[in-house]
Amino acid sequence: MDIDDLLAEVVVDATPRETRDLHELTRSWVAERVAPELLPWPADLMDRVLERIRKQIELVEDQTGNMDPKTNFELIIIQTELERFKFLVRSLLRARIKKIDAHPLHVQALHAASLNTPQPLFSPSEHQYLTSHQTLLSTHYSSSFLGQFPVSLQRLDDTTGGISMIDKPDEDKAVFARALRDIGDIFVEGTDRRFEMKRGDVWVVRWSAIRQWVVGAGTGDVELI
Amino acid sequence: MALPLPPGLTPPEIAFLCEMELVTVIPRQRLEGLELLGGRVKPLNPPHRTSLPLWLALLLKRQRRANILPPSWLNTHSLTAILDHETDHDETFSPPPRLPPQSSNNTLPISPPFLSNNTSDAAPDALPYHWLELGEMLLEAASDDFEDPDNVRKLLRGLREVRMAKLRSYVEKLDAAGGVKMNGIGGMEVGEGRAFVMGVIDGLRKIAASREQQRKDRDRDGMEEGDYDDDEMEMQ
Repeated sequence: MDIDDLLAEVVVDATPRETRDLHELTRSWVAERVAPELLPWPADLMDRVLERIRKQIELVEDQTGNMDPKTNFELIIIQTELERFKFLVRSLLRARIKKIDAHPLHVQALHAASLNTPQPLFSPSEHQYLTSHQTLLSTHYSSSFLGQFPVSLQRLDDTTGGISMIDKPDEDKAVFARALRDIGDIFVEGTDRRFEMKRGDVWVVRWSAIRQWVVGAGTGDVELI
Repeated sequence: MALPLPPGLTPPEIAFLCEMELVTVIPRQRLEGLELLGGRVKPLNPPHRTSLPLWLALLLKRQRRANILPPSWLNTHSLTAILDHETDHDETFSPPPRLPPQSSNNTLPISPPFLSNNTSDAAPDALPYHWLELGEMLLEAASDDFEDPDNVRKLLRGLREVRMAKLRSYVEKLDAAGGVKMNGIGGMEVGEGRAFVMGVIDGLRKIAASREQQRKDRDRDGMEEGDYDDDEMEMQ
């Protein structure tokens, strides 16, 4: 470790929590927009960010009546930044809802399996959304046509006969990824492809091959771009 | 309210990311420090230079409250050198800026758009990740802060042409397995190339799917046999 490394450590540690949260939120947003499957809900990060947004909105409401031109301009800056944050959060949530809507039964099963891990797949409100949406849908299906089928054909999640009715996202889809740390050899299953991913490298690679390192889903040593 | 967009970032979203890059500004008016959601902004004291996120710098620039110093790589001299490098090496993109020293394991590694690759004291010999977007935005909003905006614009255009041609030539290297190294690619280029590159790789993969499945099964069988052999060795 030379002096540069020592200095870098001090600099990074001195970065305020707010700034680090912005970095993390931006990274999670890009990852969620790009990844083919739903990533675990970043609960702690979102709690902090939403709390700060709430406070900032209160501040803006307090100061709106103030006609002093100097405060007025400061308020413009604050509001511009507030809107940027709100966009990040909204776009992240909408990207997640899209994935939940696309593969409801699949993500529900994954969520149930992830409940005992430190990072569950859904936030509580996402879980509520999915459950009530699925209840509505299945009630509607069974009252409009499924109810007239033989009982053995009424299920929506049949997996017998070697073919599952539950749709899954394509986990072998290619993604653009950048390594944040050296991660060593990567092996693409089913092919001869083997390569080494070093810090700062950008690769086009299958999601399934790098999933375990990706920000959000794995160790956080790789980010999607 | 589900997002109606396909996976991958759209050009406005990439520009949004680019607006988080730090640039150097010379304030023309005082402004007190502000507590923003993304951290504290230091007070602006003319004529002291300071680094601000691009979105804030553009806001100040439009209101004539500050001037933006173009990044060290965004001038005719540096761009000509980079363009020469790009035309001389037709296999790869010009190398990205040198990475800052690696942070220790327990801290969050920093990556674009939060690296200071676009301030006036950044490395002048490499294109940062958001080079195209940043160049275009600065030329549009702050062309009076450039020494020679027309030539800078021309060089950026030239770089874009050369690099797009390279991106297209990558197609020959693509195959079903993926695993293509693209160091030095820019943010907007990822956005533009994504649909095509992904389409080619995923299409080829589907064609080769059955062969791959066979191979996976064979590998798995091989592993099981290998285990069996080990067991036998232990037995002996």
